[in-house]
Amino acid sequence: MSLYEKLGGDAAINAAVDIFYRKVLTDDRVSEFFESTDMEAQHAKQKAFMTMAFGGPSNYTGKDMREAHKHMNLTDEHFNAVAEDLVATLNELEVAQELIDEVVTIVSGAKGDVLNK
Amino acid sequence: MTSIVFENRNITLKENESVLDGLLRAGHDIPNGCRAGVCQSCIMKSDSAEEITHAQIGLTEAQKTLKHFLSCQCHPKSPIGVQSTSLSSQQTEGVVIDKTLLSSNVTRLRLTADIDYRPGQYLTLWKDKNIARCYSLASHPNKQNYLELHIKHLTDGAFSSWVKSGLNIGDKIKIQGPLGKCFYTAGKAQPLLLSAIGTGLAPILGILQDALEKGHHGAIHLLLGARSPDNFYLVDALKNLAAQNRQISLTFVYQNIPAQNNTNSEADFSFAVQGDIYQYCKKTYPDMKGYRVFLCGAESFTTKMRKQCFLAGASMGDISADAFIPFHTSTLPPSP
Repeated sequence: MSLYEKLGGDAAINAAVDIFYRKVLTDDRVSEFFESTDMEAQHAKQKAFMTMAFGGPSNYTGKDMREAHKHMNLTDEHFNAVAEDLVATLNELEVAQELIDEVVTIVSGAKGDVLNK
Repeated sequence: MTSIVFENRNITLKENESVLDGLLRAGHDIPNGCRAGVCQSCIMKSDSAEEITHAQIGLTEAQKTLKHFLSCQCHPKSPIGVQSTSLSSQQTEGVVIDKTLLSSNVTRLRLTADIDYRPGQYLTLWKDKNIARCYSLASHPNKQNYLELHIKHLTDGAFSSWVKSGLNIGDKIKIQGPLGKCFYTAGKAQPLLLSAIGTGLAPILGILQDALEKGHHGAIHLLLGARSPDNFYLVDALKNLAAQNRQISLTFVYQNIPAQNNTNSEADFSFAVQGDIYQYCKKTYPDMKGYRVFLCGAESFTTKMRKQCFLAGASMGDISADAFIPFHTSTLPPSP
């Protein structure tokens, strides 16, 4: 069984994405990057990101990640803030620690692309 | 850089230029309105299916099958040929049966036309072959045998000025649509928040009528905003509706007290409260988990209110909005 299936697949992501997006929108360290006149589109992007983080069927490639973030001047602090918000979301949903660890491993793997290093 | 072929002529598109803007720059007379993918007045067709997919959002399956696309939204990656469509095939003719001032700057227009719609959807109305505007439907097909639209009069509004002084009862008008996805869908017991500013009241009235017609029995919170209390309209009709339906709670929130010399000193604004509608919403609805939300009016309003409702716990999928966007006044592309 894949991590994505263990976490509950698409239904789990739908439950998690509202919580996660609320957290980043109210996180002063990163909220400016998530403010948008088109919140539905932002919400859809967060869903794509979480699908990737959950090891699910995602269209997100490293190149997309790099392209999407390259003009944002992001730092380690920004990256860590989003990762923390993601972990807090999973804790809130009472996801087992070992699965959270697997998610963190996947997300950490994207760090170079996001920070354009 | 890519190009398009139209009427056997090749037009090179500039960086980030849409098909519509390229054609207008080259001097072609292409009907257009909002240039934001909303009004569908700039529909064209092309055989290059792959290059137009991204410009087909909001089109019906039938339109997609005909290879129609929105030229204002189309940025092809490789050269494509484009053709005009027969706009008349997408239009219906309506007849004006009533024109009434609802307030100093809102006109209620009632039309008869053969259109199958959901209350809260919008129509594109055509003044002539170049000027099109979108208006949302306040009427309900099962309750009223006419289409009702609320037209806000703008000082330099090419369309709204015409409605105010050039359009008469009995006149015919070209209509396109219906369009849009902001209509009543909800669990019947779900609490509803219906919120509007300005003529956002029109689609909210449509949605409200539909909720009642479909037997919605959860609470219905109607929250209406305006800059000044004399901007509210249909106040008595709304109060009567709320008095007849105990599930409806009705609140009017206005931003500024009107200047004394501008208003009738006899006017009684006690039906409304003064304040910031976003703060009012935050304070009155601190926990919106499980709410179904409909937001209609200026885009700045629907954006801010959507955020407020979402942060208060409403699920993003349960928030629908009909955002009114400004139309370009000129038929020439905006200068770079």
